[in-house]
Amino acid sequence: MGSVTVKGLVKQYSDVPALKGVDLNIREGEFYALLGPSGCGKTTTMRCIAGFEDITEGDIYIGAQRVNDVAANRRNCGMVFQSYALFPHYNVFENVAYSLTVRDLYRGSYGKRVKSFARLMSKKLGKPPKELYQKVMDALQTVELDHLAERGVGELSGGQQQRVALARALVMEPAVLLMDEPLSNLDKKLRNTMRTTIRTIQQEIGITTIFVTHDQEEAMSMADRIAVMKDGEIVQQATPTELYGKPLTPFVADFVGSSNIYDATVIDGRQVKINDQFVVHTNGVTENGEAKVLIRPEGIKILREHSESRNVIEGKVTMSTYFGPNIRYDVNVGEATVVVEQEFEPGIPVYDQGDHLFLHIPEERVLLL
Amino acid sequence: MIEKHKKPTRFQRLRNWDSLKLLKYAVIGFFALFLMIPLLSVFIVSFTGEPVNLFGSFVNPEILSTNIERLQNASFEHYANLFSSGSVYLSALNNSLLLSILVSVIVIVMCLPIAYAFARTAMPFKKTLAALCTMPIIVPTFISAAGFIIMFGRTGWVTHVFNTMLGTEGAIFNVYSMLGIILVQVFFFFPFALWPMVAAFKIADLSVEEASRNLGAKSWSTMVFVTLPLALPGMISSALLIFTVSFSDFGTPIILAPDGLNLIVVQAYREISGFFNWAGASILTVIMVIVAAIFFWLQRLATKGKDYGTVSGKPKKVKLNAKKAVTLPLFTYTSLVVLLPVLTVFSVFIQSIATTWGRDLLPRGFTLDHYATIFTRSTDNIMNSIILASGALVISVIVATLVSYFVVRQNATKLDFIASIPLVVPGIALGIAFIQTFNTAPLQLTGTAFLLIVAYAIRRMPYMIRSTMGSMMAIRSDIEEASVNLGASRLLTLTTIVGPLMLPGIVAGSILVFVTVIKETSVTILLAPSEWAPMSLMVFQNILRGQMYTASAMAILIIGVVLILQLVANRLTKNSLY
Repeated sequence: MGSVTVKGLVKQYSDVPALKGVDLNIREGEFYALLGPSGCGKTTTMRCIAGFEDITEGDIYIGAQRVNDVAANRRNCGMVFQSYALFPHYNVFENVAYSLTVRDLYRGSYGKRVKSFARLMSKKLGKPPKELYQKVMDALQTVELDHLAERGVGELSGGQQQRVALARALVMEPAVLLMDEPLSNLDKKLRNTMRTTIRTIQQEIGITTIFVTHDQEEAMSMADRIAVMKDGEIVQQATPTELYGKPLTPFVADFVGSSNIYDATVIDGRQVKINDQFVVHTNGVTENGEAKVLIRPEGIKILREHSESRNVIEGKVTMSTYFGPNIRYDVNVGEATVVVEQEFEPGIPVYDQGDHLFLHIPEERVLLL
Repeated sequence: MIEKHKKPTRFQRLRNWDSLKLLKYAVIGFFALFLMIPLLSVFIVSFTGEPVNLFGSFVNPEILSTNIERLQNASFEHYANLFSSGSVYLSALNNSLLLSILVSVIVIVMCLPIAYAFARTAMPFKKTLAALCTMPIIVPTFISAAGFIIMFGRTGWVTHVFNTMLGTEGAIFNVYSMLGIILVQVFFFFPFALWPMVAAFKIADLSVEEASRNLGAKSWSTMVFVTLPLALPGMISSALLIFTVSFSDFGTPIILAPDGLNLIVVQAYREISGFFNWAGASILTVIMVIVAAIFFWLQRLATKGKDYGTVSGKPKKVKLNAKKAVTLPLFTYTSLVVLLPVLTVFSVFIQSIATTWGRDLLPRGFTLDHYATIFTRSTDNIMNSIILASGALVISVIVATLVSYFVVRQNATKLDFIASIPLVVPGIALGIAFIQTFNTAPLQLTGTAFLLIVAYAIRRMPYMIRSTMGSMMAIRSDIEEASVNLGASRLLTLTTIVGPLMLPGIVAGSILVFVTVIKETSVTILLAPSEWAPMSLMVFQNILRGQMYTASAMAILIIGVVLILQLVANRLTKNSLY
């Protein structure tokens, strides 16, 4: 078990910088997500921690140990690959047993070394020692696959393969668990189940986990903390709630959840004029001048009739879409478009294209970025 | 923020020193020692005219000074002699070029209808004919040449039939001549050109042809003006390939070339093994390598970037021409072409079970004595072949696996290039280079089985690498990373993960190495010490001594072994030709 500290990590590919100084402070036992669009450097960061990339500059610590000069096979980070990377010529048991057998091969007595090597070459060349067998079966039990130990990995479903990969990484009791987009090859339903499985197992073992994903929903639902990355830099590190409620930049706001982001002019510190179209009040205080304003679509309330209270504006529906359990309206207010999301419940009024309605934007929902 | 890096201690550096890096240097060292330095020293000797002991120069200052002296005497004199008119070398080069050009032109013309028949028509008995059209290349050429003697020699059975029918005397043609060599090479090398041409015909874009026909062109003019030009790159590349194969072939000319006919491979062989003429042998070696390299490069050029450019993602069903008026003549023609190689092998077989045979259609009687003889008196040769071939196989497997790993994973392009050099070094040339380099101390290896094994391994290396590289590329790199992540070093990963996953490619490749080593003649004749004579050398010597019966029995054994192993290898790689 251990914390992970990354200081000023720079990775340069010939001319192209992949990472431009990344700092991370991951606490022991934390579930930490690296979130960002493809090419933002999240996978590179993880590969640097695992030791698969030579770093150009900076330091990486696992626990108290600086691991810059430690070879990848001595770092003791368990990794779950996007493609699972199971060994196709081994069965489920042999896959999971691999790291323990390799450990015996390097550390055991000479007799043990020979036996371990023989077992790596073929399972016919010897039985695993009791202790190792028990450890592997325990790991398989954790992912509920102990009944498939003797199966070939090719015969497993995607979700089962995923769990073998997880067991294989966990069995060596790594200091850190690294997961590279582990759910992206699964269908949506399975993905939701696996999310819970992974999170539960992580909580039970209490292992420090770094999780790379481009899916904000995945990151928000699983992680204790999230680092949003863009162009080789970290834009914001925060808990999911903070990230959603107080995004630091329009990029974060846009990437985390759906959003209305506007150019705005601040009038007297408490009122903003959005897109030169309408004026709303806000809680946020800032100096007069230009600013970016974020209004989350689900923070906007729909009123059937006009109300004299503050922050009520009139608009016309240009499009209505069913969006999972929500209905999404695109509403024209003057020349600006406001996206509104409402949870669908039986009995609430549903608006069609062309309908007029009134929107109430609570003051605390008008965020200045 | 960034702390000053602590320099790793020497111990740490040593521990982190990648064991794979050491292996990489070992592989490079292997190629340097057994490929680059021999070729370099042949090149130097071709100027100095006297042996240069490159390894000796490193350990013995005396040898070094002699070498430097010899280098100072280096001149173009020997090359000038080569190009003076009436020189033996020049005529050898001319004859070889003529032979190879004739063979490649004849092969292409001969194969055109057959390639079309396989690619575009519903010719009857296609599968059988395809198998028969592959068979000739597995027969070692010195055996085919011997078969020709059995058929067309002065006492051959074909000659006999011909004479009885026409009431004439003497041979139809002299087998021991340029014509004889051309015929053997044409009929036993044509599969090398045929199958690439079939492929070219298959993928030339059908819709272009359809358009042509749609515009009113007759089918024959479509054939001449559209189909042929589309298949042209494939044909040119095949012709160039045949040229290289014919140019470096040693088995046919050594059996069939008469004293008056100078061919470069035979001449080089005579210079080194008959006269110990270092200068002559080296110059011929350099020329052989250069010619082969040029044609190899031209062949690459002909196929480069083309990939027969017209392959689209949409597989189109080829509409096969099933008109009897087309398929029957094609069938007859193809059968006639394969008849000759089939009869040749058959003749060798009959010879191997004949009591006496000559000046007659059939032998006087049949016997298995010759087989009994080879299995009692020549068991040594059989064992030698197996040991030598296995040795070559082990070396090729290890080196080829490592090379493909470095090329595919670490993008070692230079290594890739070096490892493919043997493709352009004819066997005789490699043999001469080896003899010159390893003739004296400190590395006196000439006359050892080890050197012969290494020579076999080097010669077959490019083919072995092609086989292993294919399976290497099919292994995703994250599987290796997973293994490293789980605690295994790169070397252990290579042994426990990469190796087993590459196994099918390695097995198929090593069977092919085994097969070609058993067939191999040129290097064998130059390098094999008498106590290590393999089967092929025994056949060769018996043919030269006129002991055709035992030679034939051994030849049939070789063909049988080769055929079976080849089928196993094909089954493993699942590559079918048609």
